Amino acid sequence: MGNRFIARRVVQALVTIVLIVLVNFLLFRAMPGSPERILARNPNVTPRAIEETRERWGLNKPLIPDQFIAYLGATARADFGFSFVARGHPVTEVIGSRLGPTLLLFGAGELIAIVVGLAIGAYAGWRRGGVVDYVGNGISLVLYSMPYFLLGMILLLVFSSTLHLLPSFGMSTPGLRYGSAFDQVKDIGLHFILPLATVSLGLIGQYSILMRSAVIDTLGEDYATTARAKGLTGGRILRHHLLPNALLPAVTLIAINLGYVVAGAITVEYVFNWPGLGRLTVEALNSRDYPVLQGIFLLLGVSVVLANLAADLVYSLLDPRVRL
Amino acid sequence: MRRPLRARLARVLAGLGLALSVILPGAVAPAAAADPLILRVGTDQTFSGLNPWQAVYVLDYEVFTLNYDLLVGYDQNLGNAPGFAESWTTSPDGKTTTFKIRAGMKWSDGEPATAEDAAYTYQLAIDAAKQELTMGSGYIDGYLSSAGLKSVKATDATTLVVETDTPTALLLPAYVPILPKHIWSKHTLKQIADAEAEGAFLNNAPVVGTGPYTAVEYKPGEFMRFERNPNYWGKQGAADEVIIQHFASGDTMVQALKNGEIDYARGISADAFDALKADPSSGVTTVEGFANGYSYLTFNGYPKAIKGGGSSTSATRDPAFRDALAYAMNLPELVDKVLAGHGTPGTSLLPPFQSKWYVAPAADKLRSFNIDTAKAKLDAAGYKLDSSNKRLDKDNKVINLRMTWPSSEPELATVAQFVKEWWGQLGIGVEAAVTEDDTLLADLTAPENDGKANFDTYMWGWVGDVDPTSLLQPFTTDEIAGGSSDTFWSNARFDELFKQQGQQLDEAKRKADLQEMQELFYAEVPNIPLYFDSELHAYRTDRFGGWQNQPPDTGTPLFGFGPIGYTLLTDASIAPSPSPAASEPASSAGASAGAATPAPSAGGTPATATSDNTTLLVIGAIVVIAIVAGFVLMRRRGAVADEE
Repeated sequence: MGNRFIARRVVQALVTIVLIVLVNFLLFRAMPGSPERILARNPNVTPRAIEETRERWGLNKPLIPDQFIAYLGATARADFGFSFVARGHPVTEVIGSRLGPTLLLFGAGELIAIVVGLAIGAYAGWRRGGVVDYVGNGISLVLYSMPYFLLGMILLLVFSSTLHLLPSFGMSTPGLRYGSAFDQVKDIGLHFILPLATVSLGLIGQYSILMRSAVIDTLGEDYATTARAKGLTGGRILRHHLLPNALLPAVTLIAINLGYVVAGAITVEYVFNWPGLGRLTVEALNSRDYPVLQGIFLLLGVSVVLANLAADLVYSLLDPRVRL
Repeated sequence: MRRPLRARLARVLAGLGLALSVILPGAVAPAAAADPLILRVGTDQTFSGLNPWQAVYVLDYEVFTLNYDLLVGYDQNLGNAPGFAESWTTSPDGKTTTFKIRAGMKWSDGEPATAEDAAYTYQLAIDAAKQELTMGSGYIDGYLSSAGLKSVKATDATTLVVETDTPTALLLPAYVPILPKHIWSKHTLKQIADAEAEGAFLNNAPVVGTGPYTAVEYKPGEFMRFERNPNYWGKQGAADEVIIQHFASGDTMVQALKNGEIDYARGISADAFDALKADPSSGVTTVEGFANGYSYLTFNGYPKAIKGGGSSTSATRDPAFRDALAYAMNLPELVDKVLAGHGTPGTSLLPPFQSKWYVAPAADKLRSFNIDTAKAKLDAAGYKLDSSNKRLDKDNKVINLRMTWPSSEPELATVAQFVKEWWGQLGIGVEAAVTEDDTLLADLTAPENDGKANFDTYMWGWVGDVDPTSLLQPFTTDEIAGGSSDTFWSNARFDELFKQQGQQLDEAKRKADLQEMQELFYAEVPNIPLYFDSELHAYRTDRFGGWQNQPPDTGTPLFGFGPIGYTLLTDASIAPSPSPAASEPASSAGASAGAATPAPSAGGTPATATSDNTTLLVIGAIVVIAIVAGFVLMRRRGAVADEE
């Protein structure tokens, strides 16, 4: 039974990915303009150059089937062509160089937020009306409702512009001579603090609010009363009876968020000039770098599908009922 | 459970604190004596790369003039100056120019730099033209084809002979970097010209050049790092290294400038610029230069009706109609409202930045905003009002002008709203709608290039070189078929003068030609120049002094023409800058915990710089705390009420 559930989910995910690949093709063909127009405004560009561009992009062939088949082949080879902006650099290279910083920032941010947010939320729900609940929940609400860029700007103004404790942009200081590997780690670490704080603070709010209400909900369940009636200690009830059930909604939220780890929070990367995928998306949109956008869309679509698949599978482990 | 959880939390927090305490003291990273003096420049543009033929943006030009010399450089006043060539002479017939290349000059890798290299570079453009290839983006080789380059030859190591089809004023200003033959000739023309070709040559760092700095590190979309070229023949600037950093957000760039993390910023928004200017304690000097270009409103002047396209009215072809509408344009108000005052009203197709060639319209020709004059001119030209006060064209059709602009220039939407109001008073309807850039380019294409010229009016901008030719060319008749004409205006006298000025070696005579061209243009209104925008830059003076604008009255210190701005910089810790920035920037309250950039060398007065921000922040913090406290109190009260 379990295997069939897994197989069904995997097939669903694969079908979705195929659809994404299809939409990605149609979407970018439906967009206004065409690559050779980028060249057209320059009076010095020769007809031969324009013709060659058309040929390279296959624009002189019919959309279906020729262009579509070529697109499928290229996608299968992970060949997304070249960036319009960073001349001569393949899309895979441009995106690849931005993937690391985003994964680092949002991976670490998620991790911190999951641990801290769930802990605060669980404790606040368990000791409802206590100090942690009042203060934690209040702060969580403020953080949750505050847009990333605002939070980022405030942190930037306080810690960078006013206190001069931390650098304001980028992932490291270009051109800085590192005396040792430790210096390098320190430099990156300093650049890391503000963006990381912004990401994790924003997420902590989300997680703790959700966790708090989930714990409160489960507190009223019969099995909680039963556990208490059996004379179990508070800690045991929380760990063995409440948390496993309260975690379920959190898992869903975490999985959905994980899908966006790859996308990054565009505004955070923008504010801190963080060299990640989110910023790349904005810049590619601004400069109409269609090949890069196409690559990013595909990557994001697939990663969201995979994150959801992972959520389904984890969920089925935590809650056997969904497998039925 | 209570205790363990809290204990665990405490442990986590202690761990974080420990980590912070390890990291934070390290924030104090004063520059050691051996550290290089680094000039950090921020820009809002992104890099096209290190192959100069791929250059598109001002930033790309800046990059290649740091790496390489032009054959003839530019001085502080945009006059000719020695570059790769030391001197030059032109034959009496004006068709042969002989360049004297500096003897003993070396590339940054130590190889001799000779006339052979210059001949090789120019020959690339000749070969490309023969094969109908475009070199990269097609901007750089365009300078040589415009100059009518015919042949180039190195007669010996220090002599370069260049022949042109006609006498030309365009050879000396040709913005073409001289490339090292011993590096570039290992690659085919195709590999150099086409960044997507098999084995394309991207000229990756480290670059070999003769410019004052050579690129040693390039992260696409991020930054470029340049080191001083030890073999540079000219005056060396104080900076040992130059880092040009791209910023996605202009606000972040301005913060970085205020923090001292960068020394120079280009592309600052009008709001941020005004704020910087109004705050002398920020330690930042602002500079407002003229941009070398202008924004315009173009009329579709295509002389015939076009099936399925073209202008919706024949009126846009009529100079008298366009003249009348130009009176209904309050340009000073546009400058005020759209550019926040950072610009000047448009008066010509050449910007005042090109002060040598720009001619303002005579006082009696200059149009000033007057709706009544515009109405009278329309009446006189035969554009009558119908019974419902709508203006009719000569085919008795109500005139409803479509007006568009590219989505990349959002401020033009504001312009459109103003124009709609003004022209509405004349009885002329305006349908304003934005168009995506590439679609707009397609709409502008004439039937000669398989397009439909499907627009009535549209707005965009042109950007020029030091030489005026590139700004004039799109208005010649040849360019209707050539592709860069967007007005489809055709004027035989303008064409004749265009050819003549390009071959005119006498500056006074050339200026007379250019004056007549500008007058013709202004009278016939193929487009209405809206405004000349300003270049808004800012820099710090705590690490570097010697900032000088190029040209002195209308320019900016960097992002001008050639690398002169960089070579004039001085080390502020050695020779204090005579800059007008009176208040030396406070090196910061947190000097003891300064950012990871090399510490400012100027000691600085006690911090006053941050007081404004601090006040704001304190207020902000109080507000946040008040909200949280209020929330908590309400909750508590609610909880108490529940219990009761």
